[in-house]
Amino acid sequence: MDIDKNMGIVVVDDFATMRKVIKNLLKQAGYKNITEAEDGVEALKVLKSEKVDFIISDWNMPNMNGLEFLKAVRADSKLSGLPFLMVTAEGLKENVVLAIKAGVSGYIVKPFTAAVLSEKIEQIAEKL
Amino acid sequence: MEYDSLISLIDSIASDFLFIDGKKIDVPAAGKFFNKLEALIKEADNRKISQMKSVAAGLNSLLEKIVLNDIDDEAGFNAFEKGIILMQKIGESFKNTGGYEGDIETFAESICALTGEQRAESKEQGVRQRALADNEIQDESLLRDFIIEGLEYIDEIEVNLLDLEQEPENLDCVNAIFRPFHSIKGVAGFLNLETIRDLAHILENLLDRVRSKEISVSSRLIDIILDGTDALKALIIKLKEDLEGNSAEPLEIDLAALRKRIECVEQDVPDTVEVKKLGGILVEDGAITEENLEQGLEVAQQSIPPKKNGEALISEGKVTPKQALRKQTGQAADTAVIRVNIKKLDDLIDMVGELVITQSMIRQNSFVLSNSDRRLSRDVSRLSSITSELQKTSTRLRMVPIKQTFQRMSRLVRDLSRDAGKQVAVVMEGEDTEIDRNMVEEIYNPLVHMVRNAVDHGIDSSEERIKLGKPEKGMIRLKAFHRGGNIVIEISDDGKGLDRDLILKKAVEKKLIDSSQDLSDQDIYKLIFLPGFSTAAKVTDISGRGVGMDVVKQAVEKLRCKIEIDSAINKGSTFALSFPLTMAIIDGMIVRVGSERYILPTTAIRQLLRPVEDSYNNIVGKGETINVMGNLLPLVRLYKIFGIEPEHKNPWGAIVVVVEGENRSKCLLVDEILGEEEVVIKSLGESLKSAKGVSGGAILGDGNVGLILDPEGLFELSERLG
Repeated sequence: MDIDKNMGIVVVDDFATMRKVIKNLLKQAGYKNITEAEDGVEALKVLKSEKVDFIISDWNMPNMNGLEFLKAVRADSKLSGLPFLMVTAEGLKENVVLAIKAGVSGYIVKPFTAAVLSEKIEQIAEKL
Repeated sequence: MEYDSLISLIDSIASDFLFIDGKKIDVPAAGKFFNKLEALIKEADNRKISQMKSVAAGLNSLLEKIVLNDIDDEAGFNAFEKGIILMQKIGESFKNTGGYEGDIETFAESICALTGEQRAESKEQGVRQRALADNEIQDESLLRDFIIEGLEYIDEIEVNLLDLEQEPENLDCVNAIFRPFHSIKGVAGFLNLETIRDLAHILENLLDRVRSKEISVSSRLIDIILDGTDALKALIIKLKEDLEGNSAEPLEIDLAALRKRIECVEQDVPDTVEVKKLGGILVEDGAITEENLEQGLEVAQQSIPPKKNGEALISEGKVTPKQALRKQTGQAADTAVIRVNIKKLDDLIDMVGELVITQSMIRQNSFVLSNSDRRLSRDVSRLSSITSELQKTSTRLRMVPIKQTFQRMSRLVRDLSRDAGKQVAVVMEGEDTEIDRNMVEEIYNPLVHMVRNAVDHGIDSSEERIKLGKPEKGMIRLKAFHRGGNIVIEISDDGKGLDRDLILKKAVEKKLIDSSQDLSDQDIYKLIFLPGFSTAAKVTDISGRGVGMDVVKQAVEKLRCKIEIDSAINKGSTFALSFPLTMAIIDGMIVRVGSERYILPTTAIRQLLRPVEDSYNNIVGKGETINVMGNLLPLVRLYKIFGIEPEHKNPWGAIVVVVEGENRSKCLLVDEILGEEEVVIKSLGESLKSAKGVSGGAILGDGNVGLILDPEGLFELSERLG
């Protein structure tokens, strides 16, 4: 199935360099509409104001971490169906289970390549 | 009936399972299973069906392995299927007979076997994946971003570490330190910066254990994290240097030693790593200690504490001053911030300066002045109010809070006080006061010296403090506030205070002053700024070598700053530095000599007077002097220096401005004082940069150009002439 490369993706991470890394990888994979947000609070604002089809979020962030953000998305009737890819670090696998329980669509472990990221996105998007 | 809810849960798991295609349990499906298994385990526990509980728990951990890719998808899928069937069997059996006699061991073993052996394989896969990532991203601009952001994060870590030391129980602090390490590690992994990643990883792990209360916060722990942070900073700075092409010697970070120290803290045993290594994970340590030994001179052969790296690194830190203040967690979200290259800002501010001048030229243009068009004059005055507003706003763009500088000082105090064996707390006030970013770098060195001085000479030892009835822990207070167009930075300590008589005695001994001179307390205190002056009885590696305070004085003069000292024996001292907010504007006094106008920095002016004939002396060998309140000060005839025709040649017809240079004052002869004005400093360009006696030019309010005079340079010129 062809994935719409024009879909709106929001990248949520407090570390600007990391956002850029992920953005570059997404661009390598052909995605064009990428928005950034610094944390869950910012991301929720973005979700309300812009058309977003896919969320890629870091776990560890100030203000509202990835899990809290995920829960907030799932609790919002307008947003609850959005695909949500969680970015986690190695060695924090207990977090992954928490995220899965909270309804994450997929997770990806840092560091990853454009190919792996692209595959994850496709896997998740195909299910929709 | 009793078991219906249990059985329906199992059935719902089984029916979900039927809908899985491709023998692969994906993340959303796993999410459902997890939640249902959780409910099942609870239910089984309530009803005390241990077999059901253990099978469900087994499935739960199997599911974890599946979603974490620790085992093969298909194998996991098959095992999961077996588990569901087994649970159905147990459920049926309980429903019918109220018990289950069958075997669950085989299933448990098969799960253990599955999860145990496959782990190694998936790790390999992980390594392969990383290797791939290595080649893919080596973007230079990413590296640059990482360096800037990484260094900011490190500053943040330092601050929070110091806070944590004050409040060891504060979990928010721990989190605030953990997070940046974690982020640095993450990006370093992508950028193939292995040492940085490993180091950040070690520190992150350590903090994670602090977070989970496995390790308690001690100053030893803080030391380790600080040293680790220093090393991390050094690595990032090294990365920066490499990128800029001016690569210094290779930097070796002894990760093994750090790990060892961490182990020692964990087991709560004394460090087994050598003390010297302890002080610095960095290699460059040795040189500094040797220097100390040489400088030791008359010092008894007691052990000299090795210089801490922290300090060296902090002074190194001036290379990369913080560009924008990261917002604090509490007040985030409501202020949007963008990062702008400082060069662009400087250019903007320069251009605005040009605009102000052009505007003032238009305003002073004779055509405009003589024109009676009301509309034109209204527009011109509107133009000037807008430009002046624009100038204020643009200067403000470059303002940053002084907080960051203060925080670096508090780190410095921590390191210095430890080396000196004193206990010192730092209190900050007015850290939100803003200052031109370009000034931040300039005031850094003088502040370091003042703070060093306060720790080494100011704060007394614990014993002395107790004897005097003071709290055992000394206090250094850093305070900033605005006064007029200046920012005042006060550094106070509650230590010994300055000994007026000792300073005087020393100064006479060293022939820095004449014993007959009558000096005020302020004047005496200021003697400590003279080159070669030191009252410290012994030389330490912190201060006391007689250098330092004169560095302060020099830097301070360059910045047109004023120092005031207030001190009381055994109560402490306060050094107040008052700096202009920006280097771009100066408070000047406009003076006229003949038809020329000059600007004197107001900070340098001590007095204005119209001398009487009697106060003038011309002594052979000493030159012309004016008696100013009992002091004979040399007279400098500005018109002679600049070769112009003055209105008055006799001092008693003219006006004398008493101006202060480096540790001496002289009288400048001028024709008239035209007033005070805030002027925008314009550089005279490269070719006139080395011109003595003049530090710049400025466009005056009436459109005329005036030269800004540099008192010290003028004094030198007059000495050469006379």
